[in-house]
Amino acid sequence: MKYKVCIIGGGIIGTAIAYFLGKMGETSVAVFEKRYLSSGATGRCGGGIRQQWSTEANVRLAMRSVQFFERFKEEVGMDIEYRQGGYLLLSYSEEEAQQFEKNVKMQREQGLEVEILSPKMVKEKYPYINTEGVVLATFCPTDGHANPHKATFGYAKAAEKMGIEIYTHTEVNEIDVENGKVKGIQTSKGYFECDVLVNAAGAWSREVGKMAGVELPTESYRHQIFVTEPLKYFFPFMAISFSKNFYIRQALHGQFIMGQGDKDEKPGINENVTFKFEKEMAKKMTKIFPFLENVRILRHWSGEYNMSPDAQPILGKSNEVENFYYAVGFSGHGFMLAPAVGEAIAEMILLGKPVHSDISYLDKDRFKKGIVQEKNVV
Amino acid sequence: MPRRVAKHPILGDLEETNEIEFEFEGQKLKAFKGDTIASALIDNGLDIFGFTDSGKPRGFFCAIGKCSSCLVIVNGVPNIRACITLVEDGMKVERQKGKGNPVW
Repeated sequence: MKYKVCIIGGGIIGTAIAYFLGKMGETSVAVFEKRYLSSGATGRCGGGIRQQWSTEANVRLAMRSVQFFERFKEEVGMDIEYRQGGYLLLSYSEEEAQQFEKNVKMQREQGLEVEILSPKMVKEKYPYINTEGVVLATFCPTDGHANPHKATFGYAKAAEKMGIEIYTHTEVNEIDVENGKVKGIQTSKGYFECDVLVNAAGAWSREVGKMAGVELPTESYRHQIFVTEPLKYFFPFMAISFSKNFYIRQALHGQFIMGQGDKDEKPGINENVTFKFEKEMAKKMTKIFPFLENVRILRHWSGEYNMSPDAQPILGKSNEVENFYYAVGFSGHGFMLAPAVGEAIAEMILLGKPVHSDISYLDKDRFKKGIVQEKNVV
Repeated sequence: MPRRVAKHPILGDLEETNEIEFEFEGQKLKAFKGDTIASALIDNGLDIFGFTDSGKPRGFFCAIGKCSSCLVIVNGVPNIRACITLVEDGMKVERQKGKGNPVW
């Protein structure tokens, strides 16, 4: 069996690349997923779609993605529960507030509409938030959230309709490289020849890179989330704080989804959960969001952030192995960047370079020059 | 009292002691200490504990705190499972319609 493009990874990134390839007329494409679609970080993520980043690269990609999310239902053909309820960023120190003001200046230069709110304004607008300790907040009304499972299935179904193959429960075991060029892949369902291979393996990106002999500087770290029983839908935005280390949103059904990072996590794939997380999270969140006080936790799960050294994605084409592309290291924000990345990688493959987004600064060679850290990460 | 199991082959005879009073939808009702909200309501002839979002009646179903069919509002707090919550003297119980309202 031969496909022009083989994609490893059936998350939002892999399916988005497949969809954009198909949309641009290339349908000799196959996606290989070792478990089921959206079974990795995509289906485990908080589902936020944010444009308020601290680096221009992330802001631009996120803004491009929002344009696609706004038209997702019409263009891709699935209702992914997309709501532009905004994103409220809360800062808890003078230093963080200054960083926020700097960010907003840069974000506005990129054409993003962002408001700066005092704690008093936050209290007036959102009386159900305890603003104790808040120094400053920013709000971007066009940020939002969506259902990551539905988005993945939306892309996959649209791709399949165009003739693209999706192989789930199919693990890639070997990448066949000859004379510095990928020839094909050995999978649990046989050998597939390909002209182009894309690594969109999320948490497993480094391992997949190694199969092709390409070193990718990514590490996976566990992040946990829990979801509560539903309340009436009243909380349309996503609230997030980097210093207090949390994010929270209400799903349309009414459940609250929230998570935090843990500095003590060791790198590696770990999909277990801890009581420590539940305890810390419940204590912190009921204080800041008092309406959660009597709300029960329904489920609790974890997934991997595939971290890059600067918390920005690593996108591009390998110098070492011809026809080996990668879209990895999303560092916890792959879902929200997926449409723009899918488009850019598809353009790179078919046209030689991305047309709509400049992603040259996201190539892995950037780390040779030093690291400019993305700060807006939980 | 008509809907109470007064004689049970294993649990034995019911001792009708410690009567307490609670409120359901503004109506004063009697219960026994040790009653769950659900058993007290059923004993008072009340089967409809609340309504779904679309207005269909809900009530006692799994009886062990799993199904969330019997959610009521207790003293203003929504999503209380009537089947596993003991009724208390002076408790104010209301029917929940759809999902609970946030309280803060």
